[in-house]
Amino acid sequence: MSTPRLQFLQRGNTEAWDEAFRQLWPKAFMAAQSRLQAFLPGEIEDVAMETLEELVEAVHDGKPLEELKRLAATIAHHRAVSLLRERFAKKRGAGKIDSSEVVQAETGADCPDPAADSPLVALERKELGEGLSRTLSELTPPQGAILTDFFLKGLTYEEIAQKHGVAKNGVGVYLKRGLETLRRIWGRRGES
Amino acid sequence: MNEQEFFDLALKVIAQQASEAERAELDTLIARQPSLKAEFERLQADARLAREVLPLVNATEATAPELPAWARGQLQAKVREALGRPQASTPSAGDEERRVMWRWRWLLGLAAATAVIALIAIPLLRQAPGPVIQVAMLDTAGASRGSEAKELALLQQTWNQAVVDSFSSAENARAWETNWPADGKGAVVKVLYDRAAGELRVLGRWKGKPFARTFVVEQDFAAALDQAKAFIQEQTRR
Repeated sequence: MSTPRLQFLQRGNTEAWDEAFRQLWPKAFMAAQSRLQAFLPGEIEDVAMETLEELVEAVHDGKPLEELKRLAATIAHHRAVSLLRERFAKKRGAGKIDSSEVVQAETGADCPDPAADSPLVALERKELGEGLSRTLSELTPPQGAILTDFFLKGLTYEEIAQKHGVAKNGVGVYLKRGLETLRRIWGRRGES
Repeated sequence: MNEQEFFDLALKVIAQQASEAERAELDTLIARQPSLKAEFERLQADARLAREVLPLVNATEATAPELPAWARGQLQAKVREALGRPQASTPSAGDEERRVMWRWRWLLGLAAATAVIALIAIPLLRQAPGPVIQVAMLDTAGASRGSEAKELALLQQTWNQAVVDSFSSAENARAWETNWPADGKGAVVKVLYDRAAGELRVLGRWKGKPFARTFVVEQDFAAALDQAKAFIQEQTRR
């Protein structure tokens, strides 16, 4: 996978931007999906599109493609959170929930603000981007994959050990060290 | 129970993977050692943080889904709006080199084509100009204006752009026939139509050699003109 050169992007080269969009779209889409899938799945592509349009302006400021990849996730996350808050504020204010538009929570009760308890919501984009950058560099493989398997995919220690070819006792060690890294990077940011 | 074992047990409970017995074990441990409660709550916060951060971390490395076809056009329009008209240059260094090579090849090709054109054009430009053809009509009998005009038109049509001199006296026509350029350069052809004699006289000089022929005009003046024209072309081609 080739990396388009910044000067070609800044000149508006069509081929360079086709390649850049091809690489950036999955980042923006997945970041938007992580926030919107449960409540506003129909808005995921729109948020991803708005994110990429904003990134075009970022190239004008001289940001390299590697930084744009982190920005894609950051911007999409922020846009998704803003959209959620806007929609839920409107619906609470109107006193109704539109079930055709919003996937109901498991309890079937009125949905609270889904972004309310997030430790990332309060962070500015720059802080979020810096946190992502540090996380990517400090989470050594297979820490990131094991954390994902446990906390996002719900795999057990036995399943993770088999998948990654590690000892069952070692899974807990990877998780402990991984959580310590995340706490060190994000703990103070989330409290600010 | 050591620190790692407590961690593993607490995480199982937090992830809702623990059995009833394991939950009870954790509750007992916390009841005996209240400081473990703070540790458990910190692990709960860590788990919440991981569930927030990991999707973003994974997103930065995502390679799917593919960019939809409908999105490409809209995004390229944004590029044109924000950055101006796109250029056709290719992005990679290797392609840049190929572009430079093609530029040199184009220049070399242009130079070669220019040389070929010069080799062909210069000899053509150096060729001797065509003969100067002078046309005149001698009418001593004073024929009707109608027939004279037709014959005049045919003379002009046969030799494009020729100015047809008109003579009414044989002496003046003779003087015109014998009046040749002094330098002798180039080719000169004189065509005289003697209406009274019914003759079309052709006199010429080509590459220093004179030539002459008289064509009898019987009934078809145009045919005689064609014969005279062919004779001139034959004499000035050699």
